[in-house]
Amino acid sequence: MRKQWYRLDNAALIFPAVMRKNWNNVFRVSVTLKDKVDPDILNRAAEDLLPRFPTIFVRLRTGFFWYYLETVAEAPKAEEDYAWPLTPMTRRKLKKCCIRILYWQNRIAVEFFHSVTDGTGGMTFVQNLAARYLALKEGIEIPAEGRILDPKETPKTEETRDCFQLCGAKASVSRAEANAYRLRGNPEEDLFRHIVTGVVPTGMLLEKAHEQGVTVTAYLAAVMAEAVLARQREDRKPGRWRHIKITIPVNLRKTFGLETLRNFTLAVNIGFDPRLGEYSHEEICRLMYHQLAAETIPQRMAGRVSTNVELQRSLPLRLVPLPLKTLAMRLVYALSGESKGCLNISNMGVVTLPEVMTPYVDRFDFMIGVQYSYPNNCSVVSWQGKTYISMIRSIRDSELERLFFSRLVELGIPVNIESNRR
Amino acid sequence: MYCVYCGVRLQDGAGECPLCHTKVAAPALPEQPAEPSWPDRVPRKEKQSGKRLVLSLITVILIAAALSCLIFCLKSTGRVGWSGIAALGMALFWVWVILPQWFPRWRPMIFLPIDFLCLGGYLLYICKATGGNWFLSFAFPVTALAAVLTLAGVAMMRYIVQGRLRLMSLLLIAIGLSFMLVEFFQHITFGTPMFVWSLYCMSVFCLIGLFLFIASFIPGWRAALRRTFFY
Repeated sequence: MRKQWYRLDNAALIFPAVMRKNWNNVFRVSVTLKDKVDPDILNRAAEDLLPRFPTIFVRLRTGFFWYYLETVAEAPKAEEDYAWPLTPMTRRKLKKCCIRILYWQNRIAVEFFHSVTDGTGGMTFVQNLAARYLALKEGIEIPAEGRILDPKETPKTEETRDCFQLCGAKASVSRAEANAYRLRGNPEEDLFRHIVTGVVPTGMLLEKAHEQGVTVTAYLAAVMAEAVLARQREDRKPGRWRHIKITIPVNLRKTFGLETLRNFTLAVNIGFDPRLGEYSHEEICRLMYHQLAAETIPQRMAGRVSTNVELQRSLPLRLVPLPLKTLAMRLVYALSGESKGCLNISNMGVVTLPEVMTPYVDRFDFMIGVQYSYPNNCSVVSWQGKTYISMIRSIRDSELERLFFSRLVELGIPVNIESNRR
Repeated sequence: MYCVYCGVRLQDGAGECPLCHTKVAAPALPEQPAEPSWPDRVPRKEKQSGKRLVLSLITVILIAAALSCLIFCLKSTGRVGWSGIAALGMALFWVWVILPQWFPRWRPMIFLPIDFLCLGGYLLYICKATGGNWFLSFAFPVTALAAVLTLAGVAMMRYIVQGRLRLMSLLLIAIGLSFMLVEFFQHITFGTPMFVWSLYCMSVFCLIGLFLFIASFIPGWRAALRRTFFY
């Protein structure tokens, strides 16, 4: 297969620049099947998908002015999963392939370097990998519907394009906003990542959110904000309180009606200033919902995309060699990149599969890695009436998870807890 | 099985709640550990980049070079002389460049005062070693001024969010004026003519500072600058 190369999309530019030896931006999508996974069939399935997903099977290359992605000749071999997810992908590994395929018992997991794609693209790929695997193992015919693509088809142009370049506004929106409270704790020395997954009934979660007149994402953000607020109360004196803000990645595909398999999300920060007074649960829910709604209107999103794209298009900046650009991006990221939110809540939404596949699939999980300075993050995915809320942390202290999940229980939502605790 | 403290349902066979670490006591249930959902496989440690080794090597080379200078000078002239300046210069380089590399994060509010303190000490040594009389009237105030302006700039960028542009403009004006102070100290120490080169530096910095100060009051300009530099 002829090697192809792709420019990094607008959202992807920052990730190779700010990566460290012990940290980079990775996320994971996994599917748990009803039967044990056969690694040989999984490898064959991945090989079969290689020509269909040229923007996923890529490696990171360094150019003179920019990083870029280059297709790989072979799919990465599936390896056994680790005791914890999302171990950093080193530069050496990224030069070979930007994704990692893992298996453990009934589970197939794929970990992606964020420059390759976003959660939606990752979920599409994992569903297709599972579909191909099941087709090879069980001999079932899976129709190309929903996110399932025809593996024999050639990739469409719209799947490989950078949609950020298509949806900017004429004016841009400022990035300036207040700094948020920074969660902290004693880091795990060996880069161990604690995963605590709370499994809750989707119907009940939806019912509780609708009682408050808000969406599930806004509801979970509100409960998380309450937990972070309680954490700040334990951690800091009132005079040193900061804003409580939750970062929500927004899928722009729905906003602009564009489809791509590359990054096309933009994060918005929603929250409140606890120094202004006490907030009730209902008030926080409404605040989160209205802020999220106001921030995610297409006009505002387009303005924010413009802010990012303008910089990328600026000729003087384009002519700056990559090492200097990297230095500048690291500096900006260190000063303001992660200071505007307390943690992320990334909600993938409800996953659906073709009917023929459903009996073979037990569950889906979605996990995002911790940020460089946020020790906690949260991701959500729903499948077959259950919502899987995965909280990851790089510190020993599990207080935030306790506050969050016990608050859900207090609100009347039963939570089943699973963890990779050692 | 539920955690009595958090109220969440735990996995069968869980010894304790992963949230609050409360031990689970369920005598009615048979002790049967559930199948683990995660394997025991630990990621192989990546090879160390050898940063610490390189830093140690540089440190040893610097110590060896400084000691050689001192020994050579002492043997040939019987006094410390120029070798003291060279050795302390290497020590200063180590403090400014190598020392922060040992730490996982560069903390400017700790490292910068140390750096300027060492620079002041080094200049004092040179002044004494060369029999000069310029430390108190020139080197000390100029170093102190540079330290204050640098720390103010760094603190502003790290800790202040509101009104950064206005503060930045004031800092630029302060830097411009500080050039005149430097030339003033130069004048009283070395007797050079007053305000020759510093006027050019001052006017450039003050003009930029003044422009930013005015821009900070005009929302359109402020927004344009924010977009361009996203400070």
